[in-house]
Formats: sequence, structure tokens, C-alpha cells
Amino acid sequence: MKTTGFRSFVLYLLLFAFLGGIGWFVINLAANGEKWAAQPYNGHIYASGSTLSAGTITDRTGLILAESQEDRRVYAESESVRRSLLHTVGDSSGYINTAVQSVHRSHLMGYNLIFGLNDTIFSGLGSSIQLSVSARANAAAFDAFEGRSGSAFIFNYKTGETLVKVSALTYDPMHVPDDLLTNERYDGVFLDHTLVSTYVPGSIFKLVTAAAAMDTFTDWETRTYTCENRFALGDSTVTCLDWHGTLSMEAAMGHSCNIYFAKLALDIGPEKLQETAEKMGFNEQFSFDSVTTADSEIDLSSVTELELAWSAVGQADLMANPYHMALLMGAIANGGSTPEPYIIGSGSNTKYTLVSQSTANRLHDLMRTTVSYYYGDSRFEGYTVCAKTGTAEVSGRDPNCWIVGFTEDEDAPYAFAVCVEDGSSGIRTAGNVVIAALNALK
Amino acid sequence: MPDILQDFAMRILNSGLLSTLMLLIRFITPFIALFVLWRCYTSFRKGQRRKDPVIMLEDAATGAAFPVLYWENSIGRSKSCDIVIPDESVSRDHAVLLRREEGWFVSDTDSHLGVRVRGRTIKEPTLVQIGDKIGIGPVTLILKNTTDSNIKKRRIFTGFTGEAASPFSLMLGVVLVQLSMTLQLMFGTGEMRVYPLAVFGILFLAEWVLYLFSRRLLRRVSFETETFGLLLSSIGILLISGQGVDAVKMQIAAFLIGIVLFCLIVWFVSDLDRVMKSRTVIAIGALLLFALNLAIGSTVNGSKNWIMLGPVSFQPSEFIKIAFIFVGAATLDRLQTKKNLTVFILFAGACLGCLFIMRDFGTALIFFATFLIIAFMRSGSFRTIFLALAAAFFGVFMILQFRPYVAKRFAGWMHVWEHTQDSLGYQQVRTMTYIASGGLGGLGIGNGCLKYVAASDSDLVFGMLCEEQGLLMGLTVLFGLALLVLYARSDVTRSRSTFYAIASCAAAGMLLFQTCLNVFGPTDILPLTGVTLPLISAGGSSMMSTWGLLAFLKAADERTYAAKRGGRRSAQAEEPEDDPFLDEPAFDPRTKREPVQKARPAERTNRRMEVRIPENELHPETHNTKRKGGVKRR
Repeated sequence: MKTTGFRSFVLYLLLFAFLGGIGWFVINLAANGEKWAAQPYNGHIYASGSTLSAGTITDRTGLILAESQEDRRVYAESESVRRSLLHTVGDSSGYINTAVQSVHRSHLMGYNLIFGLNDTIFSGLGSSIQLSVSARANAAAFDAFEGRSGSAFIFNYKTGETLVKVSALTYDPMHVPDDLLTNERYDGVFLDHTLVSTYVPGSIFKLVTAAAAMDTFTDWETRTYTCENRFALGDSTVTCLDWHGTLSMEAAMGHSCNIYFAKLALDIGPEKLQETAEKMGFNEQFSFDSVTTADSEIDLSSVTELELAWSAVGQADLMANPYHMALLMGAIANGGSTPEPYIIGSGSNTKYTLVSQSTANRLHDLMRTTVSYYYGDSRFEGYTVCAKTGTAEVSGRDPNCWIVGFTEDEDAPYAFAVCVEDGSSGIRTAGNVVIAALNALK
Repeated sequence: MPDILQDFAMRILNSGLLSTLMLLIRFITPFIALFVLWRCYTSFRKGQRRKDPVIMLEDAATGAAFPVLYWENSIGRSKSCDIVIPDESVSRDHAVLLRREEGWFVSDTDSHLGVRVRGRTIKEPTLVQIGDKIGIGPVTLILKNTTDSNIKKRRIFTGFTGEAASPFSLMLGVVLVQLSMTLQLMFGTGEMRVYPLAVFGILFLAEWVLYLFSRRLLRRVSFETETFGLLLSSIGILLISGQGVDAVKMQIAAFLIGIVLFCLIVWFVSDLDRVMKSRTVIAIGALLLFALNLAIGSTVNGSKNWIMLGPVSFQPSEFIKIAFIFVGAATLDRLQTKKNLTVFILFAGACLGCLFIMRDFGTALIFFATFLIIAFMRSGSFRTIFLALAAAFFGVFMILQFRPYVAKRFAGWMHVWEHTQDSLGYQQVRTMTYIASGGLGGLGIGNGCLKYVAASDSDLVFGMLCEEQGLLMGLTVLFGLALLVLYARSDVTRSRSTFYAIASCAAAGMLLFQTCLNVFGPTDILPLTGVTLPLISAGGSSMMSTWGLLAFLKAADERTYAAKRGGRRSAQAEEPEDDPFLDEPAFDPRTKREPVQKARPAERTNRRMEVRIPENELHPETHNTKRKGGVKRR
């Protein structure tokens, strides 16, 4: 009996293993509980495909963008605001996983270790979020899209506050279309184009080619090339919209002459152009509110002369991400570097340096001249704008219209990048979006 | 008028006040449950007999006294014997002195020189009386009553409080927990429901019938094991009630049958002769049941472990768990005569083989762990354990080698967050998400979301418990199941036979191991094997078999069979058993030892006051009636 009693100590081994396991589980729960609870399938946050309860989201003026009312998620009153901020605020089903309602789900749902997702006064504290965006400017920009797809991003390059972030195609989160998941029309509707899409850049890439020239040639300012509308290269040609004659950099930028930049790129060479583009953030991923953005792509490692010439004007196998373009504009405006844009709180203090200070200043001047001499300052009433437009040909469709740039104004230092699909011209289609947004930000 | 009332009721239901109140109740309930579980254990410890010698053996030649401490005592030369006789010609394990209903027996366990009682060499267990001479080889021992030798008494930790809780008050605690959960069920889901009252009513009736049956009719002293079982069962049943009344009908039926099974097994194992004779039949029956399962079983969730007979379906493996322990445990004289484990190993091997063919790996693991516990407690041989583990690893290796799809089933282990939408991690991540969602206080019975996931009320029931009743309640239940091991351990040398000791340890170990698999599987600490949480999970077979296993724990408590409470009305008729274990002189004046006491009254009183707390004084109820009876007789 004594021996049997002694041998029963084996049960203690089991008991200790059990207690150890429980301890491990509780520690894990304490450490990761918030992450565990904040899953998109969690029925306490989403029920029958829609958000049940989450904190209130407001814009910079305190306008309510989303709030929960009696087991229902209610969005802003204005339909334009709802549609324009769909990809910023998010939808009720959590399909748009780069939006605030997904990224900050755990904060919004008011989780805490003691009460879990119980709706207590504790969960109400601090579960609201104020965004830096302006609902008015977003709605104005969205309306200026006139139903086209594309993206617009405007931020304050001094502070990093994001003011406008519009991604179209979009839908009304209060009246979700029944065929949202089935209709081809809505393909890609859950993607935030500003962050995760790339477009053919077209003429806005001439800024990169220009920067490469500044790095390569000391005489870049006086260097001239002749444009005769067509430029034969091998058995093909590079074409230009006009017969520009002999041009300097400043005029070529203003006229957006393809042949000037094609010839310039042939002199710069693919390695140098690639190097400059990568220094300026191509082939690099950035982050926005903990979302990793799509990288702008360029690969000139084995290009022919023709391909290099077309690349120089942004018309070959290269892609640009709108968010990255806005960052680049912020860097040029700021003398080389820009703070990372933010939408909640006060930013991460991350800075991106994308150009040297001298190149930034030279590009700044070029873009200023482009607006003042060629586009006309009268378009941008109340602002001093530096910009470059682009009209990228897309096979089988109307062109992608770009405008990238920034305002010089001390009290309104905004950098912007807008790309509108199926537009008519850079300054008219995309420019109008910027103008509408800037007017709404006054 | 009723409209206004209804409107008023709805308003209260939908107001924040009610949900806050419910949350408060959910925070308090686990503490009541915890108190009941802890007091069950401490009262159980306090009710136990002190480790005093009950009779003595005296060496006739030298006069050396050997205190007899247990119900079954091995006698021999080996140091591991309870009574060590350091004589070269005595066999290592020579004989066993054991106590049965009729009195003390001596049994020869294949010794070289044999055992003589009253001058005759015995072949079978032989009854011995006080004063009889027992010849162990060359040594002659005389059976004597205890003298007041200075046996050191161990102080054992019995909790923070001095008094044992009365079984009645602990049962009131159980009712309180049931009431709290019933209230949540009725008002906590946003609509008023009435059926929980019926569930509560049945639970209430069943537990008090059992209480009266055990305490009044059978006059048993202890009720802790039953209280434990009733508390956990009602938590499980009321939790499952949240899914509607249909979900819980079968569970309640199984609970009632389980209680009957519990009583039957407690009765059946009371006679150790009957037990030892029936083991072969039970072993064969278990194997036949497995064979039947393999022949006509149905496959559910990838395991062919169900038998469906018309409207009744059950899992034979659950009942074979009871048989497995039955076959594995044995009395001390058997253990000493049949030392090798061959038969049990063959039986266990056959069981495991069947479970593997059924692909019920979780249950196979439970059987294997139980096998290890029993094998070690019987043989004490690390070699056996090592060999068994080696064989198991080899077996697992071979299975993975030739049946790679088995491994695929567990491929999500430790990577479940990469499999939130496929079968490798679907259940695990949802369990963890909803445990976190519940917080410490839970979201209320019936308000959970895990219930929409398959097997949520069985394999994932820990998640459901935590989501709806909170982590505190989840941990309380786990604490209770862990206490089972301590129950079993504390009883191990006090039980009436090694059969009970081994069976209760094996049962506790089996239940705790099953708990490990159930809790750590869905939380991704172990691979998900799909076993039930004892008494909590939905599953009739599991509920019944767990009550069956609890019977072993009950049987290991020596008071179950030996001690009787005094009946209130029939104190006179109450004849305390003439048993040296229980009728200790300190509280029963009618024992044979009384003259001895009188011889040294001063010392006796002293000792009594200082250290000796008679067993019935720890049970106030018993104490009063017994003393009254005693006074009357005088």
C-alpha cells in the first residue's frame, strides 16, 4: 500500500504539465487577446456581414464619418462624403482591409482584457477616432472625378496630416449594392487605389528623367535637343504631340516634349536613370498608417534604346503608385525629404529622403515655371502651385490623366498626386480634382 | 394592463441596467463555484482518518511491534513492504494482511516458506483474530490491538479554515451557481425565456434525490465527490441550455443515467471478491464492444467511434474507459502474486489498436496515458514506462511514415493563424478569438458566437464556456478538474484496497489528461484531437462515463463503505460498525480497546485533546448525533 501510494506521484507530473499549459495559455491571452478578438470573422464585431459595434470616427472638423447606433453602423450624412471616404473609413463588412475600420479594429471595438467585448462604460472610453482628413475636401475631390475611377491623395508636407484620400471606384456603404460581389463592374472595388494600385505614369516621369540629368550633367540647364515631332530610333519612332524645335530643359518640361526627354535619356543611359528613379523611391515600399503600399516599378536593366526613350517619358514598362508620387512631391517641396503622412494621432516621425536638396530646389523651380508659364496660375486661385501633369496612353482606353505637385504657401503646404482613369487631359481632368479639393480646403 | 407590464418588462430587458447586472452576476458566480470546489476538497481532507496504526503485529520472539497502518499491508523482507521483516529466509513479498468486511485476512503471496495461521500452512486468504499467531517463514507475528505507542502524527495541510464544511451547505453553493446561470438564461439574451426553469428544476430534483439517497438512506458520511460532479455537470448543462431546449434534453438524460451508473458502480466495487472475479468478463466484454464498434460503427468527423442503434447513438470507447480502469487496477495480494503486466499490456494494446483503426487518436492518447499511470502504479518500473513510450513513439513514427494523411490532419498545429479559413485552423482561431472576446466575465449564456462553429459545445466547449461565462469560470472549472488529482492522491494509502487506490488515481489522471487535450487542443498548445471536457461538453456517452469514473474516486474514499452517519431518528438502532479503523476509542466507548484506555486515563485525555481529532468530530452533524447516542447508552 505504501509503495502504491508513493508511486501515485506520477499524477503530479501530469498536474504540473496541466498547470504549466494553463499558465502559458493565460499569458498568451493577456499578450495577444486584443489581436485574437480583432479578427474579421468575429461575430461580436460583425454580424450578418456588418459591423455591430465600434467607436465613432470623425473628420478633422468633428464631422461624424461613422458611428454605431443600436446594432447598426451608420456613416456620414452626405453621400459624396460616404463614397469619397469609403476606402479611408472602411465598410461594415471588413472587405476593405486597408481602411481605418479594419486597421484600427481592435481600438474601435473597445476591447479590454477584463471585460472582453462587453459593452461597458470602460469600452466606450477611448474607442473613438478622429481622422486628419477633411470630409468636405474629399467630397469635392470625389465629385470632380465625375464618376471616373482613379485616386487622389493630398497631405500637408510640413506636418504629415493626410487631408484628402479618395479611391474610385467606390460605393455607398449605407446602401451596399446587392451585386457588389457578383457584378464585374465592381471588380477591385475593395482596393484603395491610392495605396495599393499602380498606374502608367506618363509625362510625370519626366521629373525623374530631369532629376537624373541634373545628377549627370553639370550643363543640364543649357543643354538643348531638337524636337521635330518624330524621332526615328532603330526601325521605330518616338513621337511628340507637337513640333517643338530646339528646346532647353525648362521649355521641354513646360511643353512636356517627349523627344527632348527621349534624347536626354539616351545620353544619360539606363543605369543612371534607374539609379535616380530608385533613389526617388521607385521599387520601394512605403507605409501609411501601418499599411504597406504598392511599390512603383521600374526595370531598365535590359532595355533597348527605343524602350529607354519611351521609359524616359513614362510610357514603357514602368508603373507609379499615387501615394509614392505624393511623397515625392512632398520631398521636392520640403527640400528633399518628407514626413510620412498620417491619418490618426500625430504621426510616426518617420521621414523619407527621396531627392538631394539641390535637385529638389531645381525641380521645384522647374515645376513652378511649368505652372506659371504654361498651365496658368489663374487655375489655382488663392494658391501658388508647382506641378507637372501627365497623360499616359493606355492601350484600348482613354488615357490616365495625372497631376502631381504641391503648393508653396506657408500656411497651406499641400503636396498632391491625382490620377484619373479614362480622362481627357492631365490639367483638365486631374487638375480639376486638385482644384476642387484645394478650394474646399481653404 | 398586461400590455403595459410587458412593455415595462421589455424596457428593463433592453436597458443597460440589466446587462450590467448580468455582467456582475457573471463575475460573482465563478467565485461561488470556486469556493464550493475548494471547500469540497478541504472538507474531504479533514474528513480523512489520521495515519494512526489500527492494529499491531508483534514479533513473538523479539517483542518488536509492527504498526499496521493500511487496509492492505504487504509483509516481507523487501524495503518497499508495509511491514518489513528483516529476516533472510522471509520472501521479499511474503504475504498480505488485508481487511475485508468479515475482518482481517492473511494471504500468502507465493512465498518460499509459506504462511501459517494457528499452526496451519494456508493456501487461501484466511481470517485471523486478535491474538492469533501468524507464521511468516521462521518469524511468528501475533495480531494485537493498538497500544498507545508514540507514533508520530503527520500534520497535513487541510486548507485555511479549521472546520469542515457541511455537505448540505456545499450543496446550497451548487444551487446558488445553478440559480445564477438560470437567471442569465432567462433574462440575459434580450428576450425572456421560461424553459431554463425546467432545466433548473430537473437539476435541483436530481441532486437532492441523490443527496437524500446517499446521506439519509445509505447514511454515508461524505458527499464531496458527488457535490463536485453535480456542480460541474450543472455548469455544463446550463451552458448548453443556451442553445435551446432541444440541445440539452439528451444531456440531461445522460446526466441522470450517469448518476445511476455512479451509484451502481460504487455498489458493484464494494465487494472486492466480486470485482476481482469479474475482471476477466469485463475485459472480454470491452474487447467485444470494440469489435462491435469496428463492425457496425458509424463514422463521425473522421472517426469511426459511434454505434447508432435506431434513435440511440453512443460512443463505446467512452464506456470502455471505465472497463479499462477496472481491468487495470487490482488488489494488493493480486499485485504481489501476478507481478508481470503481460495480460494488462495485451489488453491495453488491443484497445489502442482498435482506437487507431477507428482513427480516434484523441481517445487513443487518453487510453495510453491512463495505461502509463496504471502500469507505473502497479509495477513501479521505469523500464516498463520507458519501453511503452518507446513503443508509442515508434508506432506514431510508423503511422506517419505509412499514413501521411494522419499527419496532415494536424499540420495546422502552431500555425493556426495562417489557416483562419480552412480546416487546419478554423476551429482553433475562432476558439481563441471568442475566449478573448469574453474577457473575464463572459458575454452571457446564449450570447456567444462560437456556438455557430462545428463541435463548439463538445471539442471546443472550453472556448464556449469562456466566451459566455468568462475566463474566470473557465479557469474555475479547470481548477476543479485539477483538484481531482489531489483528491485521488490524498486517498491513495487510505483506501480500502490498492484496487481503489489505483482505480481512483487512474480515473483522476484520465480525466485530467482528457482535460489537457480538450483545453490545449483548441488553444493551439497541443494539436487539436477532438475530445470532450469531462462533465461540461455536450455528449451523452462522455457525461455517463465521467460519472462512472467519479465512482472510482468515491470508492477510494474509505468512508464510502465503512463509515455510517448516525440517523437522526434512529440513533439507538444505529450500530456503528465494529471496525478498528473507525470506531476509535476516542469517540466510541464500546470498543475492545476501552480497558487499555482506562488503564492510562490521564495520558489518554491529554492526547485526545492535543492531537487526536476523531473523525466524526470533523463532521458536526455526525458528531452531535453520535455523541447523543453514546450518552444515552451510558
